[in-house]
Order: sequence, then structure tokens, then C-alpha cells
Amino acid sequence: MYSEIIEISFRSLLISSAATLMALSWSLPISYMISSRQSRLGKMIVSISNALVSVPTVIVGLFLYMLFSRKGPLSVVGLLYTPQAIVLGESLLITPLLISLFHDVFNEYRSKYWEMAISLGATFSQAAALVVREAMPRLVTVSLIGFGRAIGELGVALMVGGNIKGYTRVLTTSIALEVSKGEFEEALMLGFILLGIVFTIVVAVRLMNRVLER
Amino acid sequence: MIEVKNVYFSYNGVSDVLKDISLRIDKGIIGIVGPNGSGKTTFLKVASLLYKPRKGRVLVDGIDFWNLDVSKRISIKRKIVYVHEKPILIRGSVVDNLIYGLLLRGVDRDKALKRAVDCLKQMEVEYLLEKSAKNLSAGESQLVSLARAFVLDPQFLFLDEPLANLDFKKRKNVLCFLRRLADNRTVIVIATHDQLIASTYAEKVVHIEEGRVVRVGKPDDVLTF
Repeated sequence: MYSEIIEISFRSLLISSAATLMALSWSLPISYMISSRQSRLGKMIVSISNALVSVPTVIVGLFLYMLFSRKGPLSVVGLLYTPQAIVLGESLLITPLLISLFHDVFNEYRSKYWEMAISLGATFSQAAALVVREAMPRLVTVSLIGFGRAIGELGVALMVGGNIKGYTRVLTTSIALEVSKGEFEEALMLGFILLGIVFTIVVAVRLMNRVLER
Repeated sequence: MIEVKNVYFSYNGVSDVLKDISLRIDKGIIGIVGPNGSGKTTFLKVASLLYKPRKGRVLVDGIDFWNLDVSKRISIKRKIVYVHEKPILIRGSVVDNLIYGLLLRGVDRDKALKRAVDCLKQMEVEYLLEKSAKNLSAGESQLVSLARAFVLDPQFLFLDEPLANLDFKKRKNVLCFLRRLADNRTVIVIATHDQLIASTYAEKVVHIEEGRVVRVGKPDDVLTF
């Protein structure tokens, strides 16, 4: 039993980390571009992101289920009930949150450091590098918030992952399963593990930020 | 020499903050005076090539800067340094701040460190060397912000209220340093409310009001008007 719990915990960590990294790969450049160009399209993307920040996870799960199910337009890729589908779903789920928060961070740091860097003779790319460097502690914190939402969500993992034992079962879907079976002790244990993972990461990032802010 | 010719500037595209301003910035220390909101800071930012004018030209040694290819602007831009009124320091130590501009210019780290230390010694504030930027007082931050510009040894130096947070002794040190830089061919433009500084240290004073140059001349002629 313990080996299964360890396996589920590692799978949860792996899937949510991959989802966070994937979401970061597009949210960071998009947010930076929006804050630097101040275009109408950028403002529209931020407004839509703000509106979607608290979108229910089951809605994202349902949307992806319809896309990847046998009758869906993307059925040929065969992603339904795979870990990759959960990664994709969670990354889409946290993208609006990341874009919205990154945009605020970049706006604040860009207004402060961009002009200073240019006034000292930086090229545009050197100035952008300084903005990112100065904003790094805040960017890390925002990424952590995204990770927290990804690892704690249930709707996407259940609907497109299917809670298949040894394959797509993660901590949240396991907790739901144990509760439905009336196994509250196991559910509580899994809950504490989930809390422990999130707490450990929060502490580690806070310590890292302290070093960065020196 | 920087020549600002018939420049208009607007932040919102509706009302002009600078209106048909022309000025030659060629030698010594030039004081920019005027009431709050008169356009002193905006003028400094336009003349130091941070802001592109809505209309008019800014010539650096006869070259129209804003007509140049973006790739060719950086070599001209690096002759000119602007120091903000409120000091903006980067994370890290005082030294990290001082060498930032030098590293941007490709100066070797060891040489940059040596120049930073020399600069602080000349300003008589070498005690700041080991400090972290986030632990500095307002006056110390201002000194580091100024030193970060001085260490670059620019051809043109634009300073916005450079002495605002400094005590009497530090003011004197900075002004002596500025005088030495000016004697060493750096052209310095200072926006200030302090007419005493403008009258004592500037060779030329420019009085701006409501975005227009209303008087230019020797300090005695402009400030006693």
C-alpha cells in the first residue's frame, strides 16, 4: 500500500511540475510582450485571462474531454485517459492565472527598471534581461501559485485522466476515490501528503527568494 | 554637442508638455530651472535620448539621433547618461550597481571593480562599498545612483535634482566632483529647484515654464530677472 502511495505522490509531482513548466513556457513570453507593447490585443488577452482565473476545473476537464473523446475533433491523437492529457489540461487551467499575475509583475518592474537600464546604455535585450532579473523572486512566487493550483485540482485529472490505477491516478483523484469507498483514513493520509508536498515547496521557494533578494 | 531643435513632446498625444523647445548643450555645467510641472524632467529625458519627441529633432554631434537605424543608436546613446530624481537601484550590493553600466559596455569585471572603487574614493564615500543596496538610506541611494553614472565617464551627463536627499557635506562633495568632471570635458545638465546651486555652479542657466524656454543665459542674467 505504501509503495502505491509513494508512486501516486511522485506521479502527482511529476504531472503538476510538467504542467507548470509547460504553462510557464508560453505564459512568461506572452505576459512580457503584453506589458512591453501595451497594444489593444494585449489588453484584451489580459482581460480574458482575468475573467478565466477562477474558471472551475471541471469546465476545463469537460472541454478537453469533448475534444479528445472518441467523437471529438482531436480523437486521433489518442490523449484521453493519459498522463499527457492531465499535463495539458492543468497547463491550460493555470495559464490565465499565470498570465494575469505575470502581467502585473512585469508592468511594475518594467516601469521601474526599463528606463533606468536604457539611461545607463543598455540595449533593449539587456534592459529586458534586467527587468526579468529584478522581477525573479516575484516570478518564482507566481509560478508556485500556478503549481499549487495544478497539484490541487481534481476536475481535469478525473475527467481526462480517468483515475486509472498505476497510470493516471494522482493524489487528488485517489483522495476522491478513497472517500467514495468510505476509506477516510487512507483519504486523510493522502490529504496530508498533498499538504506536505505543497508546504515543502512553499518553504523551499521562500528560502530561495530570500537568497535572491539579498 | 547635443542640439535640441524645435522639439514638441506629449505623453498622451493630446497636450504637449514641451512646446517648440530649442537648446544647445555644448559645454560646462548647464542648470535647468523652473517651477514644478514646467517640463524640466521631460526636457532632460528628451535631450538625453530617452524619449522620442513628437516633433522636432535632437542632433548629437550633428547626427539626427531618431533618424538613425535602431542598431546604430546604441553607440551614440552610450555617450549620454541620465540619472533619475528618485534613485533606482538593482538587487545586490553597491558594487553590483556601480559596475552594471560598465559591464553593459563590455568592460572586464576586474577593471570595472577597480573603476567603481576609485569613483567611490573620489566621492569620499568608500564606506558604501560593502553595503547591500537594499540597506541604504535615501541619501546613500542617491550617492550610489550618481556614482553609477559618474563611473561611466560619459560625454554628457543629465542629472535630475541630484542633490535632493543629500546633507550639506555630501552636496559639497558631489558638486566638487561635478566640477572636476566638467573641467574634464563632460557636459553636465542639472535640473534643479535650488537657484543657489544653479547660480554658483552653472555656466549657463535655462529657465523653463509651461514647456517653453523663457530665458537662457548666464546665471546672473536669468536668475535675477
